[in-house]
Amino acid sequence: MAVRQASLGGVDVDLETKTNVEKLKRGIAEFYDESSGIWEDIWGDHMHHGFYDPNSTISLSDHRAAQVRMIEEALKFASVPEDPMKKPKSIVDVGCGIGGSSQYLARKYGTECTGITLSPVQAERARALAAAQGLENKVSFEVADALNQPFPDGKFDLVWSMESGEHMPEKAKFVNELARVAAPGARIIIVTWCHRNLSSSEQSLNPDENKLLDKICDAYYLPTWCSTDDYVKLLQSLSLQDIKAADWSEYVAPFWPAVIRSALTWKGITSLILSGWKTIKGAMVMPLMMKGYKKGLIKFAIITCRKPE
Amino acid sequence: MRLLTHNMLSSNIKGVTNGFPLRIEVEKVVEKSVDFNPDFLKNMFAKIEYKALVEASRIMGYAELPDHAEPSMLESDDFLRKFHHALMELHLEEGTLVCPETGRRFPVNKGVPNMLLHEDEV
Repeated sequence: MAVRQASLGGVDVDLETKTNVEKLKRGIAEFYDESSGIWEDIWGDHMHHGFYDPNSTISLSDHRAAQVRMIEEALKFASVPEDPMKKPKSIVDVGCGIGGSSQYLARKYGTECTGITLSPVQAERARALAAAQGLENKVSFEVADALNQPFPDGKFDLVWSMESGEHMPEKAKFVNELARVAAPGARIIIVTWCHRNLSSSEQSLNPDENKLLDKICDAYYLPTWCSTDDYVKLLQSLSLQDIKAADWSEYVAPFWPAVIRSALTWKGITSLILSGWKTIKGAMVMPLMMKGYKKGLIKFAIITCRKPE
Repeated sequence: MRLLTHNMLSSNIKGVTNGFPLRIEVEKVVEKSVDFNPDFLKNMFAKIEYKALVEASRIMGYAELPDHAEPSMLESDDFLRKFHHALMELHLEEGTLVCPETGRRFPVNKGVPNMLLHEDEV
């Protein structure tokens, strides 16, 4: 219980937790410093799940379209306006990877987007990719911490967190920062990995479930997981409006099998061997992600809301 | 780092009440040509802190931007081009951003600012 609370940031964070958080952040930065290149090589610049029609069969070439569709479906779910007067004029991409979402959003809305990542390698790569696409004037990147965003209050019309929430060690602080940098009327979009909601009689997941998640946490530099309900409660506690949440697990089902298949190609295997132990460990844990989804333990969640005017 | 980016960055070190704007120390400035987009500029004018932009552009070596600006000046092509140049075409490739309250230094390398705080600053 105390562990779950600490992961939510609901109790005062003691020194041991602070040290662990620093270790985690370093681990995350190093993991992505090491692995970004190989992912980009095989999958391109979007480092997130694709959105698929349930039970469809896809080839590797369809996955990029699915990743773009994920962005569009998320924007639609959050009812982000497209009207020229009401569309977002400033966007922050929290946990931006190599800038796939940043580029897409900046282009879609014709406006500026800034992305933050813990990984200097990713920030530099994101900058180079944006420049290569002629978007250098519309997107910028900083090495920064999502739990302490280097922006003044109320700066952004769209606050975007695409599959970065699972890395955040103090969920309450993470959500607080998202709300803080959101301008009045702004939309906040969180797409993230959660564990299943607990029933009213449960205090925590059962030991087998925790064991599975622990193995995944270790390989992907994830802190303790929370549920979709936990996110909703945090947003409610900040008086954010129009809170919506959904389980999109069925729409991402083809993703991990496809990633595994790509890792098992000649290119995949040789790239893994050349990359490093952190990346290899991450690859080896992929079947556990599939197992988690199959058991209904891992959920692919979207949670969106609006900051009051 | 363009000055558009500089204009949205602040120091959020624990206890700092006003971490904006960050003071710029220049090591290497690069001027990059960017397509002139009046609509984009007009949208941005409303969102930026103009005074901070003027100060920053001076430090970056550009002194043409007027000290004060009104929205009506956006109709002047001359002003718009100066605004465009300062906001979009001056890049700090190497340098430092300094917290105005604590003097804490945030490095900028290859145009990417590193705004990570230390354990005792959060």
